[in-house]
Amino acid sequence: MNLYRSKADIESVPGTPILSLKNIKITFGDLTAVNDVSFDIHEREVVGLIGENGAGKSTLLKILAGVYKPNSGTIELAGKSVKFRNPLDSLEAGIGIVHQEQSLFTNLSIAENLEFVGEGKNKSSKIFRFFNWRKARLSAERALEQVGSKLDPRIRVGDLPFIDRQMVEIAKAMKVSTVKVQNPVIILDEPTSLLEVHETDALEREIAKIKEIGSVIFVSHRLDEVMRVCDRIVVLRDGQLVAVKKTSEVTARDLFQLMMGHEKKSEVRSYERRHQGETPKVELRGAGKKGKFSDINLRLVAGEITAIVGTNGSGREEVCKAIYGVDSFDSGSMLVDGKEVRHWSVRTAITQGFGFVPAERKVEGIIGGLSAANNISLIFSDDIKRGLFISPKKNLASAKEWFEEIDIRPRVPSKELEKFSGGNQQKVVLAKWLKSKELSVLILDHPLRGLDPGAAETVNSLIRQAAANETAVLLLGDTMEEVLDIADQIIVMKDGQATGEFDLHVDRPTTLDLLEKMV
Amino acid sequence: MDAQERNEQTRKRALFKSATEPLALVGVIVILSIVFSLSNSRFYGAVNIHTILEQSAIPLILGVGSTLVILIGSIDLSIAGVMGASAMSFVLLTPNTRSPHDHGIVAPIAGILTGAAFGFASGYIMSKFKVPSFVVTLGMWFAGQGFATILYGQTATPYMTNKNVSGWSPRLFAGIPNAFWAAIIVVILGFFILNFSKLGRASMAIGNNEAIAQTAGLKIDRVKISIFTLAGALTGIAGIIGAIQLGSGSPDVGKGSLFVCVPAVVIGGTSLAGGRGGVLRTILGVFLLTILNDGLIVSGVSSNYQSGVAGLILIVAIIFALWSRSDKSGVSK
Amino acid sequence: MGKIKKETESSSRDLRKIWKIFGPAAIYLILFVVVVLRNSNFLTGGGLGISTQVSAAILMVALSQSLVLNIGSIDLSNASLSLFGAIVLAKFLPHTGVMTPLLILVLTTLCGAVNGALVAYTKAPSFALTLGTLGIFQTAALVISKATTVYVDNNDAFLGQLNNITLFSIPLIFYIGALLAIALWAFMRYTTAGRDMTAIGLNETGAIFAGLRIKRIKILAFSLAGFMSGFAGITIISQSGSASPNGLGSDLLLPGIAAAIVGGTSILGGVTNPINVVFGSLIISMIPITSTALGVNAEAQSLIYGIAIITVAAFTLSNAKKSIVK
Repeated sequence: MNLYRSKADIESVPGTPILSLKNIKITFGDLTAVNDVSFDIHEREVVGLIGENGAGKSTLLKILAGVYKPNSGTIELAGKSVKFRNPLDSLEAGIGIVHQEQSLFTNLSIAENLEFVGEGKNKSSKIFRFFNWRKARLSAERALEQVGSKLDPRIRVGDLPFIDRQMVEIAKAMKVSTVKVQNPVIILDEPTSLLEVHETDALEREIAKIKEIGSVIFVSHRLDEVMRVCDRIVVLRDGQLVAVKKTSEVTARDLFQLMMGHEKKSEVRSYERRHQGETPKVELRGAGKKGKFSDINLRLVAGEITAIVGTNGSGREEVCKAIYGVDSFDSGSMLVDGKEVRHWSVRTAITQGFGFVPAERKVEGIIGGLSAANNISLIFSDDIKRGLFISPKKNLASAKEWFEEIDIRPRVPSKELEKFSGGNQQKVVLAKWLKSKELSVLILDHPLRGLDPGAAETVNSLIRQAAANETAVLLLGDTMEEVLDIADQIIVMKDGQATGEFDLHVDRPTTLDLLEKMV
Repeated sequence: MDAQERNEQTRKRALFKSATEPLALVGVIVILSIVFSLSNSRFYGAVNIHTILEQSAIPLILGVGSTLVILIGSIDLSIAGVMGASAMSFVLLTPNTRSPHDHGIVAPIAGILTGAAFGFASGYIMSKFKVPSFVVTLGMWFAGQGFATILYGQTATPYMTNKNVSGWSPRLFAGIPNAFWAAIIVVILGFFILNFSKLGRASMAIGNNEAIAQTAGLKIDRVKISIFTLAGALTGIAGIIGAIQLGSGSPDVGKGSLFVCVPAVVIGGTSLAGGRGGVLRTILGVFLLTILNDGLIVSGVSSNYQSGVAGLILIVAIIFALWSRSDKSGVSK
Repeated sequence: MGKIKKETESSSRDLRKIWKIFGPAAIYLILFVVVVLRNSNFLTGGGLGISTQVSAAILMVALSQSLVLNIGSIDLSNASLSLFGAIVLAKFLPHTGVMTPLLILVLTTLCGAVNGALVAYTKAPSFALTLGTLGIFQTAALVISKATTVYVDNNDAFLGQLNNITLFSIPLIFYIGALLAIALWAFMRYTTAGRDMTAIGLNETGAIFAGLRIKRIKILAFSLAGFMSGFAGITIISQSGSASPNGLGSDLLLPGIAAAIVGGTSILGGVTNPINVVFGSLIISMIPITSTALGVNAEAQSLIYGIAIITVAAFTLSNAKKSIVK
């Protein structure tokens, strides 16, 4: 059944909206990230903002926060059109945003962190001024009270657990936005991704408190939470507004369908599986890591692509890192070729034929200051050596071959890798591993992130090729389409546990089926 | 458990964690003192105690300045040279063998201003020209010493002729040497600035995470330049006291002080990465090293061993300190 | 308009590249020419010889430091280790003769390895650890020399020759230093170990993910640094026939660091060119000569020295305009 709605259906709420977006559009080069989005936020309401990865949520938030300027469209506050030149303007207008990354000084107390709010507007040069601890503490107490928190402002932020730090972040956002404004709008960007279940109750109570004096835009992947907390829900898909619904009038399933558009089914896997019955290359039995994931069982089979899907905080990234040896398991066991491993490190993993394409390309994946050629031969260099020494000629020649084969541009392997575009950098990272004749396991963490379609296509075919060459592939994909296209097995993770397993040669899951288990 | 109790628990736990390290240091100091006292009763005699206090004065004053600089994540290698420059400025303006004029209070003011000027230059060049503090202060080391050498000129050493001034340092006031009183005042000043002024708290913030500080709109350049200027002024005071202790002006007044000051700060527990530590911690480090040095001398251990023992203690202390801290796996340089 | 901008961008990029490679040599040449212009005797009367002779010891220490800076650490103990090596050398020459320099090199390399192990296996910053080993080497030097200067009898018979034999008035010991620089340059470029060192200095996290043997490489870097410190010790003896435990240590440390930096080595790691460090050392030792030739007082030398270091470093370090500078 095709559930695609051809026209956005918007349920309106009477009264003047406190914040109004009208026809917001923003493009980055060829890509239209947000296309003609309009909706209102009213006083004292909580509005949820949902959508898949890449739907345009974070871009929209950045526009509201004053980080990006829209190409067209207007923002209105209480009926008056406003333009944000920078984040400070947005703050002054009463919009406070709590990002996913922490923005607190861990070595200072809550009071000090809150006291530094609004420093940017402080034109005075008197920094020798006396720091009024008493005033800071009282002011902090008031700010914390507004979000229903009874934390002692004298406590150092570094000593607080994550949930309390989140509260302080919210109090901070509130403090700025309430400076001049009657009805502040607080934006919470995925505030619960790292929280335990019982901790989210505290957050929900906070939101209820904020509602007493302002409005909230709540962005989350957890639909059950969104439905509990929000009055209305805005659904984005592919940069466009698909629906604005009253929470009381939708079900989770409706929301899924609105988010996805149409259901996508996986193709029938018709090729044969060559290694199905054999000992898996890698097996995890009850593997766990405190605070990240627990009781994970999976099997990586040679020549097959296993994908793990999940949202932020599902723990899948940590599973990958543990398999590669960057982190360690706390419980359970890992078997390689049927034998349990005791001491595992990146080095031992590599000698056993493991490879890893990290998500943080700049920091973990490449050595930016080294040439592309040196990056390619960084791990496996026997072929470019002449005796004990690296032969620059061979190094460049071998790199050139790869450049030709997977179309890396520009064809200058001697250039520093940091000067190449993201897509080309990623291809170099892959070349680094594919070089090895004995690559038995290849783990890829969000390999297509930030890649243009052309580069993504190449990377995808390289992944397929690796599998065809008997490598066991473990893949964390950005989108479900990606994964449904390419995987032989799909494991779904949520909050550190495996919630579903699909064998694509037997089952035919749809994107909806996956999504249900993810959220 | 209600919020009140939870707060209490968090605070108690934090207090406990932050107290263990300094307590360990205090313990070491006490043990050392006992050991040295046992080896030679002269150690705890009044004369020696006064000597220890007088000897610790300059490292303490320098330590306060260096602590502030290290807290913002920078380093000041220039202290020896700047001390020499300030010492010369000071001595030449007090009655000395080259000129009998007594310029009174102008002399120490000149010394302090000299130090502050060098500090300001370091901070300014670092902030505005984006040159790492390591490099800038390395150059200032030479520049300061050069300035002192120029003032020293070709003529004979300027000895201080006013016995009141040259004898000031070890003279007792309420049973404590004057030099140490100066150190006490500087330490209190440093403590207040660090903990009770916007400058101090902003410094801690910047040292903790400069990127967040930038987003928050903190005036980073202003803070850094102020801290360096302040450290320079304190170095100036140290140079003045050094000259007084020496009885004359010389570009070498601060020689070797870097290798006492920085270890003291590090042993005290202030992190070289910035954002963690404090003035009181440095006091412990200075006392540890001063008592160690003094004790070794009194016990008859050859002075040859001083730097070796101090070096060994530094290594052990910092390895121990890092292991006891909550583990942050990551790259350390 | 955009095209013009792109062209000027790429030509300024090329300029920067040329400066990176030839900058230090160019600066040295300028200083040299300035002196010759003021005093034509300098060129004919062995000015080159003086310049290279004075910079020989600094060169060894600077090369040592550049190896450590390259992996992103710092070694404050290398000058003190050099001194220790020189003293042991002087003491043992009468007993072990021609083999002594080799023994010294083994000794200092091992000491360097100890530094390396401390840095690699503890999480402590190299600044603090090597500050500690500095003191230990100093004590070792004082103890062995009994706190007095140690002399080598008849130095000219053996080690003195390294300084006395000259070619184009440049002493042999300088050629040795230059050769070592070339060897190190080749090591960095043409061996996996050398390349791994640079990788670690550029991005240690990336190096971890690539499975590089971080600990091993760091120890190797510090060991090589120790090796170079040993050569610095040999240089000291060859040039002066004696070693004093109270002097040269701190007189070599700071100039050594300055020479490495002026020679284009980045404080942050991953960027160094041993051949340019040679020019860096020449520049550092040339500065006082140039300022004298320009009529600057002897007293103002240090001041000029300091200003010069800051200025030159500001130029040679001007890679990526980072917004956060510590």
